[in-house]
Formats: sequence, C-alpha cells, structure tokens
Amino acid sequence: MKEYQVVGKSVRRLDALEKATGMGTFTTDLVLPGMLYAKVLRSPHAHARIVRIDTSRAEQLPGVEAVACFKNTTRKRFNHSATMTFTVPPMEAVLDECIYDDVVRYVGDEVAAVAAVSERIAEEALALIDVEYELLPAVFDPVKAMEPNAPDIHTRKAGCFLCGKNIPGEKIHLALGNVEEGFKESDVIIEETFYLPVQKQAQLETQAALATVSHNGDITVWSTTQTPHPTRQILSHIFEISQSKIRVLNPPYIGGGFGVRIGLSAKAEPIAVDLAMKTKKPVKIVYDRKEDFTSTDTRHSGIVTVKLGAKKDGTFQALQLKGLLNTGAYCSFGAETIGVLGAMGLSVYRAPHMLYTGNSVYTNITPAGAFRGFGNPQAMFAIESVVDMMAEQLGMDAKELRLKNIIKPGDPWILPYSCQSTGLTECIEKGAKEIGWERRGKLNKPGDRLRRGIGMAVGTHVSDAWPFCGDFSNAYVTIQADGSVHVASGVPDMGTGTRTTLGQFAAEVIGVGMEHISVTIADTQSTPFDIGSHASRTCYVAGQAVMQAAAEARSYALTYAAKMLNEPLENLTIQNAAVYCRGERKLTLAEVARHAHLHNEQFIGVGKVIPQNAPPWLAHFAEVEVDTETGQVRLLKLVAAHDVGKAINPVIVEGQLQGGVVQGMGYALSEEVLFDRDGRSQHDAYHKYMLLTAEDMPEIKAIIVEAEDPTGPCGAKGVGETGQVATAPAIANAIYDAVGVRLKQLPMTEERVFQALQNQLN
Amino acid sequence: MHKLSVAFQLNNKSVSLSVDPNDTLLDVLRNQLNLTGTKKGCGKGECGACTVILDGEAVNACLVPIMKVMGCSVQTIEGIGDAEHLHPLQEAFIDKGAIQCGYCTPGMIMSSKALLDKNKTPNQAEIREAIAGNICRCTGYVKIEEAVQAAAEKMRER
Amino acid sequence: MLKDYLLPASVDEALQHLQAYSGKAAIIAGGTDIMVNMAEKKISPEALIDISRIGGFKQIEEDGEFIKVGAGVTHTQAARSPLLKEKAPVLAQACREVGSLQIRNMGTLVGNIVSAQPAADAAVALVALGAVAEIADLQGKREESVEELYAGIGACKVDCRSQLVTALRFKALGLNQGSAFKRLAKRKALALPMLNVAVVLSLKEGAFEWVRIVMAPVGPGPVRAATSESILIGAPVSHEVIEKAAAAAREQAAPRDSALRGSAAYRRDVLKVLVRRALEDAVSQAGGSL
Repeated sequence: MKEYQVVGKSVRRLDALEKATGMGTFTTDLVLPGMLYAKVLRSPHAHARIVRIDTSRAEQLPGVEAVACFKNTTRKRFNHSATMTFTVPPMEAVLDECIYDDVVRYVGDEVAAVAAVSERIAEEALALIDVEYELLPAVFDPVKAMEPNAPDIHTRKAGCFLCGKNIPGEKIHLALGNVEEGFKESDVIIEETFYLPVQKQAQLETQAALATVSHNGDITVWSTTQTPHPTRQILSHIFEISQSKIRVLNPPYIGGGFGVRIGLSAKAEPIAVDLAMKTKKPVKIVYDRKEDFTSTDTRHSGIVTVKLGAKKDGTFQALQLKGLLNTGAYCSFGAETIGVLGAMGLSVYRAPHMLYTGNSVYTNITPAGAFRGFGNPQAMFAIESVVDMMAEQLGMDAKELRLKNIIKPGDPWILPYSCQSTGLTECIEKGAKEIGWERRGKLNKPGDRLRRGIGMAVGTHVSDAWPFCGDFSNAYVTIQADGSVHVASGVPDMGTGTRTTLGQFAAEVIGVGMEHISVTIADTQSTPFDIGSHASRTCYVAGQAVMQAAAEARSYALTYAAKMLNEPLENLTIQNAAVYCRGERKLTLAEVARHAHLHNEQFIGVGKVIPQNAPPWLAHFAEVEVDTETGQVRLLKLVAAHDVGKAINPVIVEGQLQGGVVQGMGYALSEEVLFDRDGRSQHDAYHKYMLLTAEDMPEIKAIIVEAEDPTGPCGAKGVGETGQVATAPAIANAIYDAVGVRLKQLPMTEERVFQALQNQLN
Repeated sequence: MHKLSVAFQLNNKSVSLSVDPNDTLLDVLRNQLNLTGTKKGCGKGECGACTVILDGEAVNACLVPIMKVMGCSVQTIEGIGDAEHLHPLQEAFIDKGAIQCGYCTPGMIMSSKALLDKNKTPNQAEIREAIAGNICRCTGYVKIEEAVQAAAEKMRER
Repeated sequence: MLKDYLLPASVDEALQHLQAYSGKAAIIAGGTDIMVNMAEKKISPEALIDISRIGGFKQIEEDGEFIKVGAGVTHTQAARSPLLKEKAPVLAQACREVGSLQIRNMGTLVGNIVSAQPAADAAVALVALGAVAEIADLQGKREESVEELYAGIGACKVDCRSQLVTALRFKALGLNQGSAFKRLAKRKALALPMLNVAVVLSLKEGAFEWVRIVMAPVGPGPVRAATSESILIGAPVSHEVIEKAAAAAREQAAPRDSALRGSAAYRRDVLKVLVRRALEDAVSQAGGSL
C-alpha cells in the first residue's frame, strides 16, 4: 500500500474551530442592512384550485413591503431538484412546478409569500391574505393514483412526460438474461412484497436563503443548498436572467443536508429572489421546523417486490425486482430515485437472470426527493429480507449464502461501469467476528420474555451520480506568492468534512502540510462549475479534480524550480513545502513562488474530471432484544463494516458511517411521516417525528475496510450515503432471529412487532 | 411596541437591555445581541440547538421569555472559550471528530458543560441523560459521547 | 401580545396581579408549556405573572407524615430529590421520564397538573400518591385532590384568572408500602408517553391493604383503574390476582387511536402488561413476595 503524508491521516477538520466556538456562520445567522423577512402562506388543502386570492389587506399592514402570489410572479416551470440541470438528453427533466401556482397539490404547498420588516409582521400579514379554494379530488395512495379514475395531479402541459396515469418521467426497465428461464432453473423461489415509509431528513438547519439584487441587476443568494452551481442554473431559468449575473454561495456553513437541498433549498431561493426583486431590498427566508417537515423533500415511500430463485446449493439463479415509489405532489428526483433503487438492488448479487421494472407516481402528499441512499435503502430492505428467508428455506447459514453469491470483479452486472474492487467479503468476515455471528440462534431459552437475535445485511452504492445523470467536477489549485496553497471547488460541505478532505488531497499532491492549505468551496463566483455535494461523490469526483489541479500546479512549480536551480526536472520533488533535489533540501516552496511572482508567473492548476464510478461495499450486523409482551425492540449493538476504498480521513469516515447507521436505525424502528385522510402530515415536528436520541443508542462499531479502487482518488470510493443502506434489513433479520416473525413494513414499531407476534400465536 | 427593561449577567458581564417582552432569550441573544452561536432548530424546546446555561442549568433558550432572566446568570457558547482559550469540551469536540455540520454543536457543548460543571466523573448514562435533549442528525452521538468523556478526563487532570 | 412581565415575591402579590388583569394575565412557572402555546397563538395574554421567585416555592419538604412540593419545584429537582427517591420513588421516577433534561430543568410539577395534559407523567404519579393541591385565591386557601382537578383534555378546574396552586401535598410511603412507574414510549427522551402507569400500594400480612393504580392516556386525565383496585384490596398477594387486576385495567381503559401514540387496541393490550409489571415491582418494593 502506498505511503502518504496527509492522506489517510485524521487531520483536524478545517471547520471545527469555528463551529466549536459558535463563530461559524450559517444562512440562518445572516443579517444585511435593511433586510426584510419573508414568510409563506401554505395550502391547507391537499388538492385545490385557487379561485380568488386577495392580498390587499396584507399589503396594507404597516411594515409589509411586498406580497407575492401566482398573480404577480413568474410562472416559469422548473423542478426544485438539480435534476433539471443535469438530466442528459434524450431523457427529459420533469418541470412540473412554479413558485406559486393557481393549483395547490399538497397540504403545505406554496400559495403566497410576504416580505416585511420583521418576521412577526410577515406572519401577521399571512393571516390577512384572503384565499378562496375550489376543492379538487385528492389521492394519497400510490397504487390508487395510477388507476384510470384517479384525479390528474399534473397535466402534460406541465412538461411531464406521462407514460401512465400520474407517472412522472420514465418507467424503468433493467434486464440481464431472462428471468423466466432463471426461475424455471431454480429449485427454490421466494416472492415477497415490502412496504416502505416516508422518512424525513430532519437536518438541524431548516431550509433558508438570503437574496439581494443590486441596482444593476446582479443577484446574490446565500443559501443552504448542497449545489450552488446547479442552483444558479435553476434560478437563471426561473427568472430568465443570465447565469453570470447570479451568484449563489453557502455562507459558508450548512446545518446538514442528507439530500434535502440538492438543487434548491425547497423553494427558499426563488421565494427570496422574487421578493428581493419586488422590494429592491435584501430578503431572508428561514423555514420554520413545521414547514421543513411539511414542505421540503422526503425519502420516497413505496412498495418493493422481490422474487428470488436459487439452486439447492444456494446459487442465485434469478432475481426480479419491482419498485413503486410515491413521489408526492411534485416529481423532484422521482425519476432518478426509482432508477437507483433498481440499479443498486440488482448490483449486490451475481445471478445470470435479472429484471427490474419500476416507476414513481404522483400523489397529493409532500414531495419526495433525494435522501441519503436515494432509493437504495428501499431496495435493500426488501432484498436482504428475502435473502435471509432464502437461507432459512435452503437450510444454509445466512452469511455463507451471501458470501457465495455476492458480486466479484469481472462478474456480469447491470451497471454500465465495471466493478473493479470489492472488500465485501472482508466486511462480512470482520463484521461477523465483531458481532459474534456464531452465537446466532443460540441466544434464548424457551419461554424467555426478552428474546435476543442477531441479523445481517449487505449492500453497495455509488461513488457519483453517473449514469443516473451527468456528472463532472472542476477545481482550481493555486500556489500563492508565499507558497501557501489555495483550493477552489464548487462543492459544499454540509458537515461531511469535504472541505478538509479536499484540502488533504491538495496537500498530499503538492507536498505541503495542512497548515499551508486554504479551501474555498460552494461559491459560484470564486469556484469553477461543479454539480455539487450529493451521490457520495465529493471525495471521489471533486477529490480527483483537486488532485489533478494540484498536480498541475505542482508541475508548474517544479518546472520553475528546475529553471531556478538549473537542474533537470526529474531530479526534483516537493516535500514539507520545500523543493528537494536528489534528496537535498534546496528551496522552500515559498521562495520558488515568490521568485515566480516577481517574474510574472503564478502556479495555477486546473482539474477537470469526468468520472467513472466505483462501488463501495458494506455489511451491517445487528443484535437486538425484543420484549415479546410489548413488541418493543431494543438495539444492543450495531456493526457497520464498510469498504470505502481508501479512508482519506479515517475519523471523518467513521463519523459518516456512525451517523448513517443511526439514520438507518431510525428508518428501521421509529422514523415515519404519516398523512391523515385529508393529506395532513401527522409528524410535522421534532416531538412527533421519532429521531433516535443519545439515550436510545446501542453500542455502534464502525469498521473500515480498504479495497482501493483504481478509479478513485488514492483508491477512495463513496462513503457519504452507504451508512444506512442495509441497517434496516440487518435489524429486521435480527428480529426474525429473536422471535421468528418477519416484518415486511418499516418502521418496525413496537405495535407492528406486537401485531406480528400476535399473528404468529394465532 | 411596548419595551421593558431587563438586567442580567451574560457570560459573566452585566447587561441591561430594553426588550420586547414577547421575545425569548433566544431572540434577544441572536437578534439583539448578535450572539448567533446559539442556534434555533425548532423554537419549541424539541431539539436543544438553543441550549444555554441559566443559573447553572441547561435550558432551551427558545422557551425562556427574556424577562425571566431578570437578575439571573446566562452562559452561552460565546462565553466559555475562544480560539485562543478553548474550553476542554470545545477542544475535545474538535479532537474527537464530534463536529459535523456544527448546527447542534453549541447546544451540545452547553448541555455537556452544565453536566461537567456539577459532575466531574460522569458515567455513560449520565452523559446520555445530559445530551438526550439535543438532537444531532449527523454523528450518531458516538463521537460526541467520546468527546464529553475525554473533556471530563482533561478537566480532572487540570 | 405581551405588554408586561411581573415577578411577584409573594403569593398575595401574584394574586393581586391576577385580579388587576382580570383574566388577561397568565401565570408562568417554568414556561415549557405556556411558551409553546403562546408561540402557536393558542393563547395571547397581555401579561405573564412569573411565580418562580415566590419564597418557598422551590422547596420539597417533609411535614410530619406528609411531603410538600412547592409550585416552583422542577422535574429535575423532583427526580433527584433524595427525599422523594426514598419516600415517593414513583414520583421521582415519573419526573425523570419527562421530555429532556432542558425541559425538566424548567418545567414544574404544578405546571404539569395545571396544563392538564392527559398523560402528564408527574400528574399520573401524583394521583397514585393521592396528592392534593393547595389552591390560593384572594379569599384564602383550600385543598383539592389532584385527581379531581381534571375538567377535560387540557382543562384544569383551577381558575387561572383568580387562583394559584401554591403546593402539592401527599403522604410519604411508609413501611410495607411500595410504588412503581411504567412508561411505554417510542424513544427514551423527548417522547410523549404512549402509555404510563403509576402504582402505589400498601401490604398487610401478605395481602393488599390498599392500592392506587393510575393509567394514562386513556381518558381526559389520569384514570384510576377502579375495578383492578377493588379486585386487589384485601386479596392475598399472588401472580394470579395481579394478572386478574391487570386484565381488568385493560377492560376499563378507553384509549383512542392516535398516529403519535399507537392504536387503541395495541395500547389496551400493552396496558395490561404495564399494570402487571408495575404491580409486581411495587409489591416487591413493599417487601411482599411473589
């Protein structure tokens, strides 16, 4: 394995000091002179037409400076997710929303917004807006929404390509071999259907934006977006203003993301920009927690059916997957998520025959979009439950069955890039050892009221967004006159440590310590185009771009130093911020850079990367205790063994894994947004939505496995999303081991477990 | 608007202010005093992002009407250490990788400080009780717990 | 909108303020409920009368065979009180379960009762302890049983336009007496109870001398499991009779379907389990054997 100086070390995060002292600035903290505050009037109805809206009373309230609604605001159609900026033809992005429409499609949809001198006055003004609605029939169930007599939630005019009732985007069809043949060849076939809930990102900082418009029309937007460059493109599209006149940036910190702001931060940016244009003053909008729950993207709920066929010896022969995702009132990433669900679901195991069909469907609930894992957790809950059932049917150990069938490099698979690395076997073996897999099935005595069980599940994911959409990164690396190094990349850091990781790449490549590194990210004005922080891609793609740029800057510096020293280039290296010639320290990098600047040269490297993709791998193990009288599940231990390729900063990587696992635990046991029969969210507050707290934590063990991928920067693969891909099925399989009931619906609440236990008795 | 006067100790300094009684301690800290280290996550006492120490106890600043702090002592993240003189908790949060997005961090540190001010040798259950009212969506609490434990050790050594 | 914020030093001063505002002022102690209600515009008083500075309100004290808890006592104080842990452990336990430490540091036990939420943990324990509330108005003081204070969901019989609850009083647990608190929630902190059960009982010569079983949220306020209690009183301690009492509690309870707390059917089934477990623990605390 290659020796690195900075890469692979848990260097201190560049953002930690500011955040630990309360000095870090987030969008919600920003204030500008003369700034106005915006509040939004939201629909109380799941589906209605606005027949009359009168804003005059609100406009007359002292302190109110503008009221916006569909009557006085552009109705240019867009998609609030970044999909509209990187969907590659012939695929077409679904543009099905505008800032305010005359039809509202879910409870919480935007009706109007007020800009006023204080948040309190803006809120008072909302109550003075008179709206008359004509109620339209609404549908909440994804299956019913596809029936012929279901209400139309959108029209073709909205720019959706409808290949079926209420279906946005395409129907996805992925095939390998012939599954019918495969099932004929199988000795055992299991087919089961699973039900997935709406999960919420619930990041700590709600959606927020602050917009200013200068006298010459230049727009600046500070916001919580995970994708400043695509966000600028979307704003340019909506307001028909040149991209070069718009600047989007983080301020610089974002209070979490998890996918909820890939593209716009819900509608925070366009609402603020529109009101800033109307008032000629800076306008800030901060969603309150309830709005963040009701009116920003969620994880897709849905239904996944798995049919798995195997030979008696356990060889998988055919795997068929069907997906249906409820994308809510607007498409957002609905067209991509359904694709990733199938593609990831079919990429874990080797089977000669595979088939996936799936589509998203509109209903009148909160839109669903990107959330860490992006369709993959839905797929893997279903698949890994069925694999466990298959092991039982075949009388095989569930771990051995998986080891037998997991993909190896060179195996045929469904994806258009090749699998060049896998450490999954090592993940499984190390995880099994940590949990004590050999104890499985031997943990209980007959009649025990509290029963223990152990379960496992495996999975993979992506390291970037291609082939699901376009993906590329650019970066600048500049060696300043004093030898310090500046990195510029368009990706935000929503807390994942991106800023630090990118800095480590530059430091490593150039040959300086982290104290010489500064990093500018997430600003369309000072960084080159990048599609942003999502798809587990920042380290893998932006990292490559930074390495490339750093290598170029380094080569300029070395070439220059060679001239200064009158030595052949191949004799020179840079280490510890100094130029060495055949092992001898000759000049500091600062001396070289200073000399160059005095002779009219700066060392600027540019990185431009169009990435391949690489599969990270993971195995999760859970030990649980089930109270058979109440159905309560207590997590005792969670082991997450992940092949991350190369851990550029192991502490950051562990943090990603631990955090992801806990989101997976919530997905498994407690997190769920339900809607009542009028489409109102029942879980629209932190005290209703059951995120797990510190007191609910089991022992969590993250294990890093490094099967370096030849395509990754220093061998690294994606790690941002993998943490929760297979947590829920590992827990479900542990519950089965404990009490012998198979839960097919998430979350596995005490009531659902109790019900399953009752059904087992009867 | 009807204003009232309030006087209290803020980060060991006396302050007296003219305030809108409808404002919470959080509103005044953030909007009137520009102390934005204390974050707003929900405004209803459900996330702990706005935790400050009021007369020695961790409280949600969003549930404290500003006039309630009359004559009291309030400590915020800005008052416990700065870049040159970090509090052991701030040091440990940085060193242990307990900070990701950083939005829960000030509240988390204040909850932990209220614990360590009274209990020099907290066990796991006590640490968890102290921070269970602080939602963190990034870290899974693992490294936060480690950081509080490490800070407690460091404070014992001093 | 608030125009004033008053910090009276005595009960009498607080009552004078109440009268002066004739219904337009609200009392605030910890503020954990009222601040949310004000933020959600469920109430909008003109003034808040903060009773947390009134002398003696922060005291938990023994008064002969009684324990007196002042109106300013917080959940944290109660949860950590050595006196309560020894002589009314059910209350200390219940108070530890509420919300989060930040909420417990501010929220008071009296506030828990006056807010009259159906599943308020402290209130459930207090009813099981047979607590009475001391209520003051300008005419004088009177006592009323906490159990009788509920007038509907979120409605308390104390007239907050003119009256103030100044303290709670209940008998300390003695020899051969025991208590227990059981709670079902979706997580361990920041969680509404799906169910909570408090039991206080006294044993005499191997039999139940008296029992108070309180369950919630299965009605507008904490509900006494009357049938279960009558099954137990006088009966020798046994698994069978406890099981029978628990089953009766299940029959008596009328929880409602709730997206947040679970279905009525599920909660009735689990209620039985919690009542049984609480009785078992309380019996063992009372020195009984099963």
